[in-house]
Amino acid sequence: MKPSVYCTIGPFFPTAFSDGCSDLTHYNGKVARGQHILLSGRVLEEGGQSTVNTILEIWQPDANGIFRHTLDPRCGQADPGFYGWGRAKTDAQGRYEFRTVLPGAYEWDGSLRVPHLNMMVLAIGLTRRLVTTVFFPEQADNLSDPVLDCLTDSDTRARLVAKRSAEEDSGGAIGYRFDLLLRGPAETPFFMD
Amino acid sequence: MKTVTELQTCYQPYDDQTQMARQIPRYPRSFTRVPSQPLTQRPLTLSEITGPVGMDHRVGVEELDLSRAAQDGARALGQLISVSGRVTDEDGAPIAGAVVEIWQANSCGKYIHELDRFDAPLDPNFTGQGRLITDSEGSYEFLSIKPGAYPVIESGWWWRPPHIHFSIFGPSWMNRYVTQIFFPGEPLNEIDLLLNGVHDEEARQSLIFEAPAPEMGAVRMIPFVRDFVLRGKHATPELP
Repeated sequence: MKPSVYCTIGPFFPTAFSDGCSDLTHYNGKVARGQHILLSGRVLEEGGQSTVNTILEIWQPDANGIFRHTLDPRCGQADPGFYGWGRAKTDAQGRYEFRTVLPGAYEWDGSLRVPHLNMMVLAIGLTRRLVTTVFFPEQADNLSDPVLDCLTDSDTRARLVAKRSAEEDSGGAIGYRFDLLLRGPAETPFFMD
Repeated sequence: MKTVTELQTCYQPYDDQTQMARQIPRYPRSFTRVPSQPLTQRPLTLSEITGPVGMDHRVGVEELDLSRAAQDGARALGQLISVSGRVTDEDGAPIAGAVVEIWQANSCGKYIHELDRFDAPLDPNFTGQGRLITDSEGSYEFLSIKPGAYPVIESGWWWRPPHIHFSIFGPSWMNRYVTQIFFPGEPLNEIDLLLNGVHDEEARQSLIFEAPAPEMGAVRMIPFVRDFVLRGKHATPELP
């Protein structure tokens, strides 16, 4: 059987489906372990125009690099205060924001996956989702990652690395900025899906 | 436990021939948002093959009836319908515990959304959104109202045919799935840019509900059925 046909999320994804989903730092009444971060940015289309009600979803491991999923051999030690999925929508200026934890690294098939989170983009004009991966500056600059290494050009690689943004530090959370340009000369790289 | 290779070959890239075109003439945003560069191939690691399972612990999954705002409240205006089907993987194995979200316009074609500028009335008895979790057979069923058509105002001509939006969480990041499902026999289906952006006839038909002949006694609502195949073979995770 062939996978079902994708179609665009359209302009009217219900607000209630996004409300409260952009904060990943609490789960089941517990606070997530590790360094809390505020990941924010803008989603822009060609020409730098902002996109509104673009839906971003993220999926990531906890601060120790463990996924709350039975395929992760360390699943039993997953942080009870962390689930790993989040959803945010862009406002009229194209801005989004996630509160989460800095993901941990983990080993997979003989290589190191440096700290990263998966991100998908759903919006008017996109008949299928776009998928990408967000990395963090210190680790991505110094270590090799089997997914980041698929991008051979250093400028392109740099576009998948969030920037440290001290002005967006908030409480105990440290700020990172990650802008997405869906199309244009410096567009965000996306992966085959 | 599956080997790394087996896990990675569970998920093949979507086949462009049987999916919707990425860019569709007269659908302007597909030309300002679809990346100009080819998508990059990458290996599948734990990050990609895992995904949000047990979403019912994260979000509410008891919105099964869109046709009334309060349990004992009045019904929304319009034709009462049921929307049901099964969610399986490419092998036909049921995907139990999948969270299914739907949203749609009311019977007049109006969405409950601040961005909807269509001059049609809201219906206080219509919720416009539903969310549930599939049972052990991968089955789902909502009660709703048949949505109306609505114009894409900035286009100046394009009326969207009645349709219901679906968003499904499979067991992996690789089979997270979002679509729109249309109603059979609608004249506007013939000119809809999105539906006709699927060039393969069989694939296009799979975006339209089946309307089974009513059985004796089925006089409460009109049943509409749509099964979904999420990407992946043996996609249901096994305990390691």
